[in-house]
Amino acid sequence: MRRLILQTLLLCATLCAGVSHAAPSAQEILAASDAVRNPDFSFGLTNTLIEYRNGKQTDTSTLAIYSKADPNSSQFRSLVRFVAPARDANKLMLYSGKDLWFYDPANKASIRLSPQQRLLGQASNGDVVTVNLAKDYQATQAGEEDMQDGERQLRHCYKLTLAALTPDVNYHHIEMWIDTSNKHPIKARFFSESGKLLKTAYFRHYQKQLGAERPTETVIIDGLDPNWVTVMRFSDWAKREVPDAWLQRDYLPRFKPE
Amino acid sequence: MRLPMLMLLAIAAGVAQPALADDLDALMLADTAPEIVKTSRDWQGYMEAAFGESVARADGVATANQRLSFDLQLDKSLAPGWRAVLADRWDVTWPAQGSEASGINTLKEAYLSWQVQDERLLDLGRINARYGVATGYNPTDFLRTGALRSLVSVDPGSLKKNRMGSVMLRGQTLWSGGSLTALYSPKLEDQPNTAAFSADLGATNNQSRWLLAASQQWTDKLSPQWLLFGEAGQSAQLGFNLTTLAGEAGVAFLEWSGGPSRSLWSQAMNTAEGEAFHNRLATGLSYTTANKLTLTLEVDYNGAALDDAAWTALAHGPALAYRQYRNWAQYAQDMPAQQATFVYAAWQDALVNHLDLNAMLRVNRADQSRLTWLEARYHFSRSDLALQWQVNSGSPGSEYGTDPQQRAWQAVLRCYF
Repeated sequence: MRRLILQTLLLCATLCAGVSHAAPSAQEILAASDAVRNPDFSFGLTNTLIEYRNGKQTDTSTLAIYSKADPNSSQFRSLVRFVAPARDANKLMLYSGKDLWFYDPANKASIRLSPQQRLLGQASNGDVVTVNLAKDYQATQAGEEDMQDGERQLRHCYKLTLAALTPDVNYHHIEMWIDTSNKHPIKARFFSESGKLLKTAYFRHYQKQLGAERPTETVIIDGLDPNWVTVMRFSDWAKREVPDAWLQRDYLPRFKPE
Repeated sequence: MRLPMLMLLAIAAGVAQPALADDLDALMLADTAPEIVKTSRDWQGYMEAAFGESVARADGVATANQRLSFDLQLDKSLAPGWRAVLADRWDVTWPAQGSEASGINTLKEAYLSWQVQDERLLDLGRINARYGVATGYNPTDFLRTGALRSLVSVDPGSLKKNRMGSVMLRGQTLWSGGSLTALYSPKLEDQPNTAAFSADLGATNNQSRWLLAASQQWTDKLSPQWLLFGEAGQSAQLGFNLTTLAGEAGVAFLEWSGGPSRSLWSQAMNTAEGEAFHNRLATGLSYTTANKLTLTLEVDYNGAALDDAAWTALAHGPALAYRQYRNWAQYAQDMPAQQATFVYAAWQDALVNHLDLNAMLRVNRADQSRLTWLEARYHFSRSDLALQWQVNSGSPGSEYGTDPQQRAWQAVLRCYF
């Protein structure tokens, strides 16, 4: 009898534990993986892009980026200054959702860009700055599976399918694999509305940066031409104060990262 | 007991998703990516060498020409909140440009900037304060008059880069989503100076001018800018700039200025004509295709210029008056006739990676004369090689049909330091 009571209590405890630690929703998993990529305060970093075509290095660019989340939309807004190559040095870009401006200090012109205009090779303007995917996409869980990460290690992952909440985003839908143990984003596949694979990204080389383990490299593989590869390497992470007043076209000529 | 475990492992192995072969190749390639450390520099510069040939309209004789240019920009932080900016260019041409000396130095900018607070800034010195959202014609670029000292290309980008700023005191205050700028540019000299190394303050500061510019973001897609400009001897002029997205690939723009002013003819001929309200407008659309081709179509209007009938009459009138009017319009960087169409195509990574193809067409709609300009530019890692070709076509007396140069080409090598 005592054994039966004990078993019943254990069962209740197990059920209660199950209730209090309910599996996170797909959207919560996505938000947690966003938090792995992005600090919850304004910050700066250097993004070095190395582009390969058919195994040969064809382009390199270095960008200094300051990012800050918009208090209303929670989406990131970024100021970007080109450091290299020499022909683009000191050119500037403001990325604030759909509001995208380019400034060339040589001709003092602030030019509005459409989302389709790309300043860098394969990486879209949205790829080079950080975004909170959970703000723009609705996630649904498509099971769990083991997936090779960017360092060819097997990781047990949630597989999420992300559907764009508005037409104002770069990708119509995304498949994303997120490590179940620590919510590290591992891999993502980005698709057009017609279902065409546009690019694949691996998030890798996790290091402790600004208080958390974060990916310091993203490898982007073109969907049509897998021999077109871009390595984005993040360095010089630092907490930065970015006044809201700086995140507008008229401040672009003034922006000079430390 | 071991069998079910083995079966589970086998099932798990079946479920596991290895990276695709292409992905593995890409990741292995990425493993070999070199460490690249680039730090921002306070200065940048380039040297440009050009040679080409132009064909004269009058006799069809081809003349060879060469040019050597040095361009330097410096943007140095002197202390927290303090910056010094210097931009200078030196062009040496053979044969010399018009009546100018063969070597011409253009002091584009030289000013000190003080960031009083995060959102308040003051600048003092020669500053290239340029406004406008259109590409071919900028009615709100109020400080453009007299700013061109050395013309090396008809490309609008080159015209905007290689020009002098005006000496001014400028203050700016910013708030979230908006900004207010005020500037005052005093009269310092009376006449332009063509001496090779002159700062040429008489070209940019030959009368007192002031300008207010305010912008406020309305929505993610709308961020208008208003301007108010005044100069000695003329009523204040209003200006307005607006851009908006047209879908994922388009940007629509509108640039307008207006106010009571003397006509361009009156300014050129220095007649005693009174002021009347004149509008200037540039509006159009830029569209970018998926393969990086950006097309811009713009229609331009200058209400202060001669109307079609007067322009046609002038073309057949006294040569001296014609030349004086054209010279003034060129000095003021304004349109000599009222209506024009501007088309610009820029194809990035065209046909092969690193090759840009650019094309421009300007059409004077009063006389149908046209300027056609084509450029192929290939980017190497630290240099550019460009081939440019230009044709000015039209009937005698027309805007482009009068240009003494009927056609020209030039090859340009630019090396970045």
